[in-house]
Amino acid sequence: MYMETINLTKKYGNFYALKDLNLKVEGKGCMGYLGPNGAGKTTTLKLFTHLLNPTSGDAIINGYSVHTEIKKALQSVGALIETPDFYPYLTPTELLTMLCKIRDAKGCDVKNALKEVGMYEWRYKRVGKFSKGMKQKIALAAALVTNPEILILDEPTTGMDPKGMAEIRKLIKQLQRDNRLILMSSHLLSEVTEVCDEVAMLNRGKLLLYESIDNLNKKFMGHSVEVTTMNAIDEKSILSIDGVKSVEKLLPTKIRIDFEDEDNMQYILLKKLINMNVKVIEYRSSGMALEKAYIELIGGE
Amino acid sequence: MNDFNQMFIMAKYQFRNYIRAKRLYILLIITSIVITLIIAVNAYFGNPANETVKDTAKSFAGFSGTLIVLIALFFGGDAIASEYQNKTGYFLFPNPIKRWGIFWGKFLASFLASAIILFLYYVSGLIYTYYYHQAIPVEYLYSMAYSFIFMLSLLSLTFLFSTFFKNGAVALTIVAILYFFVFNIIDAVSQIAGVEPWFSITYAASIITLAFTNNYPHSTQYVRNTMTLTIYHPYVWEALVIMIVYFIFSGIVAMWIFNHKELK
Repeated sequence: MYMETINLTKKYGNFYALKDLNLKVEGKGCMGYLGPNGAGKTTTLKLFTHLLNPTSGDAIINGYSVHTEIKKALQSVGALIETPDFYPYLTPTELLTMLCKIRDAKGCDVKNALKEVGMYEWRYKRVGKFSKGMKQKIALAAALVTNPEILILDEPTTGMDPKGMAEIRKLIKQLQRDNRLILMSSHLLSEVTEVCDEVAMLNRGKLLLYESIDNLNKKFMGHSVEVTTMNAIDEKSILSIDGVKSVEKLLPTKIRIDFEDEDNMQYILLKKLINMNVKVIEYRSSGMALEKAYIELIGGE
Repeated sequence: MNDFNQMFIMAKYQFRNYIRAKRLYILLIITSIVITLIIAVNAYFGNPANETVKDTAKSFAGFSGTLIVLIALFFGGDAIASEYQNKTGYFLFPNPIKRWGIFWGKFLASFLASAIILFLYYVSGLIYTYYYHQAIPVEYLYSMAYSFIFMLSLLSLTFLFSTFFKNGAVALTIVAILYFFVFNIIDAVSQIAGVEPWFSITYAASIITLAFTNNYPHSTQYVRNTMTLTIYHPYVWEALVIMIVYFIFSGIVAMWIFNHKELK
């Protein structure tokens, strides 16, 4: 299974929402699709789901053009784009059943889809009265109900409370393990780091980066840690450790340590701190690789 | 899955939505009020038993044109526009279903709902006429058949506007203005200009009542002072062609627009 864009371009007047995008996502796993507002993320996903027509180029799913062979292309795709609304007089069960019938899907399990998103107890209530977060969950259930191989998710946790967000992330991780290909756009770098194994970055309609999270960590992982201790810290003693370049006091019990780029330096540093009887209660990398890559490639936009 | 099966599934759920949204019931209530008013007015201003059977039947058929416009507005005005306005398109469009399947599924549901209302209306007129005359003129059945064809063409035209606009309320308002004012103005202007309004759907719809008149003239001229008014009456075949052309042309254009319309 794969999704591919070939010189995909979408233009509105003189503005390029997407310009000559060439991207191929294949196999299984989750690819995070990142970029600032107006970067072209949702445009790409809409072109993959036949909500928009390309100005030029093509969006291909499993060998079929979305725009000329929509039925074949979207047969194995479940999608959640923006926050959809639903026919207000139908219930979640009816909506999902309608989708199953339209798609003539064999492995359709309406009950299970609603259970997975935590909306089972609402299955016979009309959707019109649901909150935005509840509708988002129904939208996710709609994407999952036909058990598709490919999932296209546009900011799937939008409008949800923290508990709902955590549940959905857990669900996406589970889906990823079930041999599916997931293309997920998000504003949240932490969400992409937590859920995905690949990431693509887009800005002003152009692809800036497409890497695995592992490679990204190697390339952009910072050489600094933030340490919180039980007692006030003596910075001078830490500066004397081999490989430490500088120490910055953030709080009386919190410091940032910059160190040289050496193998296992982060581990060695922690070991030495403990040997020095520094009572470490928190020790973590300062900033995420993804965040650094984002800032480096996209800047402060 | 077969495209036609998908279309019928769309129709089924759209029809269910009409029932749940109470649109069907509201229109049934309006139709009942209209029927009651026709009966009351006929009884107050005369005695239907003293009229000819055709006149009694015509009193019912005469209002069907306006009722059909109302029906088209209720069931067609926002049928497609609402998918864009209410964002339900985000749920429906990213599925392996062709746009024409969605379009004609919705059209089928609208036609079915409209047909129920119109059929009940004509059946009421039939019972009413039979009650006073113990007979039903065959012209009443012709009128009913023409009404159904008019409804088909009007729904198609309404769907065209619904496809064109992204806002259901705008689509409804434009369609209402068009049917209640613009086409009537066109018909009136054509009378003054002496040009047969063969392009007007309301002109074609006049056969719904003309069905009760035998051998009517194609045009009648009235001269008052310096002004000459020419009132045109369409031939049956001509009216049917106009309505069918409206149905086909509107349907094709609406389909084309819907196929290319984006959900931004």
